[in-house]
Amino acid sequence: MHLTYPTRTGYWVLAILALAVLTPMLGLLVQTSLIGDNSNNLPFWQSSFIQRVIFFSLWQALLSAGLSILLALLVARALAHFGEFPFRGLLLRLFGLPLVVPSIVAVMGVVSVYGSNGWIPLGRSLYGLNGILLAHVFFNMPLAVRLLLPVWQSIPTHHWQMSEQLGLTRWQQWRHLEWQALRESLPGVSLLIFMLCLTSFAVVLTLGGGPKSTTLEVAIYQSLRFDFDPPRAVALALLQLGLCVLVAWASSLFHKLPDVEITLPNAQTNTQSTNRVLNSMIILVAVIFVSMPLVAMLIDSINGSIIDVIKQPKLWLSASLTLLIGLGASSLAVIAGWLLLDTSSDLAVLGRKRKASLIEMLGSIVYVVPPLVIGTGLFVLMAPYLNVFDWAIPVVIVINAMMGLPFVIRTLGPAMRQNKMRYQNLCASLALTKWQRFKTVEWPLLRKPVGLSSALVAAMAMGDLGVIALFGTPEITTLPLMLYHQLSAYLIPNAAVTAVFLLTFCLLIFWLLEKLIGGKSNVEY
Amino acid sequence: MSITSKIAAALVLSAFVFSTGFAAKPTLTVYTYDSFTSDWGPGPQIKKAFEETCNCTLALVGLEDGVSLLNRLKLEGKNTNADVVLGIDTNLTADARASGLFTKHQLPMTKSTLPQVWKDDTFLPYDYGYFAFVYNSELLKNPPTSLKDLVENDNGPTVLIQDPRTSTPGLGLLLWIKKVYGDKSDEAWKKLSPRIVTVSKGWSEAYGLFLKEEAEMVLSYTTSPAYHIIAEDDKRFAAAEFSEGHYQQIEVAGLVEASQQKALGRQFLSFMQDEKFQAIIPTTNWMYPAALAKTSLPEGFNELVQPATTLIFTEDSIEKNRKKWVNEWLEVMSE
Repeated sequence: MHLTYPTRTGYWVLAILALAVLTPMLGLLVQTSLIGDNSNNLPFWQSSFIQRVIFFSLWQALLSAGLSILLALLVARALAHFGEFPFRGLLLRLFGLPLVVPSIVAVMGVVSVYGSNGWIPLGRSLYGLNGILLAHVFFNMPLAVRLLLPVWQSIPTHHWQMSEQLGLTRWQQWRHLEWQALRESLPGVSLLIFMLCLTSFAVVLTLGGGPKSTTLEVAIYQSLRFDFDPPRAVALALLQLGLCVLVAWASSLFHKLPDVEITLPNAQTNTQSTNRVLNSMIILVAVIFVSMPLVAMLIDSINGSIIDVIKQPKLWLSASLTLLIGLGASSLAVIAGWLLLDTSSDLAVLGRKRKASLIEMLGSIVYVVPPLVIGTGLFVLMAPYLNVFDWAIPVVIVINAMMGLPFVIRTLGPAMRQNKMRYQNLCASLALTKWQRFKTVEWPLLRKPVGLSSALVAAMAMGDLGVIALFGTPEITTLPLMLYHQLSAYLIPNAAVTAVFLLTFCLLIFWLLEKLIGGKSNVEY
Repeated sequence: MSITSKIAAALVLSAFVFSTGFAAKPTLTVYTYDSFTSDWGPGPQIKKAFEETCNCTLALVGLEDGVSLLNRLKLEGKNTNADVVLGIDTNLTADARASGLFTKHQLPMTKSTLPQVWKDDTFLPYDYGYFAFVYNSELLKNPPTSLKDLVENDNGPTVLIQDPRTSTPGLGLLLWIKKVYGDKSDEAWKKLSPRIVTVSKGWSEAYGLFLKEEAEMVLSYTTSPAYHIIAEDDKRFAAAEFSEGHYQQIEVAGLVEASQQKALGRQFLSFMQDEKFQAIIPTTNWMYPAALAKTSLPEGFNELVQPATTLIFTEDSIEKNRKKWVNEWLEVMSE
């Protein structure tokens, strides 16, 4: 049975996503038109402030994403060429950590390092574009490294051998081997990082030095919260979505899916690297850069009463709720992601590559719809029929899963497509059923990227502060919210302990998920 | 995954138990902000104290802050679960009143120890405070003695403030400067702007940065040093007293019109002005209780600055001008 039409599941996922994003917005508009009293405002696009906000949002996000990607390429390349770098596995896991750090903790960490009393004092010049870029590179460079590193693994060994026989220079190797391989992943990874920077809020506001550094996300928050003007919030959210579609379209111009790869790659790390010193230097600098703010948090926590914090039963209850949200969101995101990618990779195999990338792009850009907007909209829709407090946790899980979907698409997408391209004919000639194929061909070869994506989504959801606060918190809170409460109660040293606890806990979960789901395999992710 | 599902089951069960209660005891639902309900806030003690007397269950629901409280109530309208809303402040009362979602409290207002006479028939105060710039007296020897001194002295101290769009103290400073400078507020902000290290999203960020000595002063409350004195035995921190007076924030609660349990709600509002409730406030919310004699305040509170003049706008002028003033501020600060 040859593949003649793609699996339909991806379309279903997209339809549900569209429903999950647009219905709350619609609900918000309908409900508030009943309350509405905000007709006297200027249309938002006429305000010079909003124009500046749009420009600044895009500018800082492009700059942050560009810088993060550029540095990540350097670091990932160094790591790829230096396979036996000591503690490499541990370092890669460390690179999953910044994703977890709640923004307020990251701000404090960055200030501990680069603030006026920091280890590398930048003084007042920290506040402004410098601070924003530093924080965003801290958050996103390590993530980009994790997402880009597998690309090097996908370059078949015989290509390297050939390039050496041909006597290619390092530049030529980069140009003809590495760059060609990167062209598949790079636009998608860049788009994801761009979206993460675009929607950044507390970091941009606090390190940006003031309202000059207002992003669209802040403007949306302001409309919905401070001005209570939901129509304007929805309009701005749609604007943000639209801008992101434009950027996604632009990035897709550079996108090139590889042609069908028939040979099996030998996944051993390539080449005897000629420049170990340079590579070690790059890795070392990156590790120092990423760990400094984390170490600063650790030092801050020494001032807190560790025992007092650890022995609170509430801490452990919060930890289990946080874990529940993390695992719930990551399972949901991985399942939805798998179903979506099943379709898009079928399309790629059928040669309909543009449509394949379109589906992946649509599945990713929901990320830029602010959870606050979706959450408030869902609230409006649910409130007349349900007791929303009982539903807070499922809603938080669903919203976090939606936010996690782009991570799954990025980590699992390329691997799934390669898998399909390689084994499509084989599976067809053996007439394997869908289940047999999943069991024997897909799962064993894809569990590694599935492990990484579930770890990433879990980490992201566990560090999320946003949505749960919206629904109202009964007795048990999540760890990030608990941390925030400690900060509001002046308990700053204890909050540092909670932050370190959260990080350790997430690191453990990250490691476990990668280990348990990823299993043992010589393909490294 | 079985562990997960067990946890899920336990959570769902506990949510069920929390929301329904075991017996026929009535439940009074109070919406408040979540730093009030947290372990370190007044919530837990107040729940215990009230439940001892009311033969009811007090369900405190914590939302992000005062602004989200009111927004939530507007979204829920007549279908709200809330009986009482506690935690909106004097910058929001006009908006809250106009929503028509609150009913009159019908309680006497004789217990108030506010510096002004309280005449509101809808909202009752439970605590209040004054915004102030807090500094470390070992690092800043000559703090400014007036708002004008702080704003106009080009060599004055650096400050950390909060954004009025996202933070209550941030809005407080905006109003404070408006009160002192009136139409000339724009110029005041321009003058102060070079010494503003950053404008943070919330109070916590700014205060955290201040403790890391990123600036010499932070916008906070006159009562902030009391925390350091009482909880940490640290007397280095002080609030600078400004001769023009300090802008005041009063936090209030109100009874929801749609509530099915107005009698119990009124009982709670009355309890709110009781000594039992009031005595919990100073060292949990770190504000002045609104109905407690000065002599009953904890030790550290007597060492704080006492503003000679209380500055506050009427709720109508805030309602009318809030958005306009914030937009002006955005324009000046974005230049």
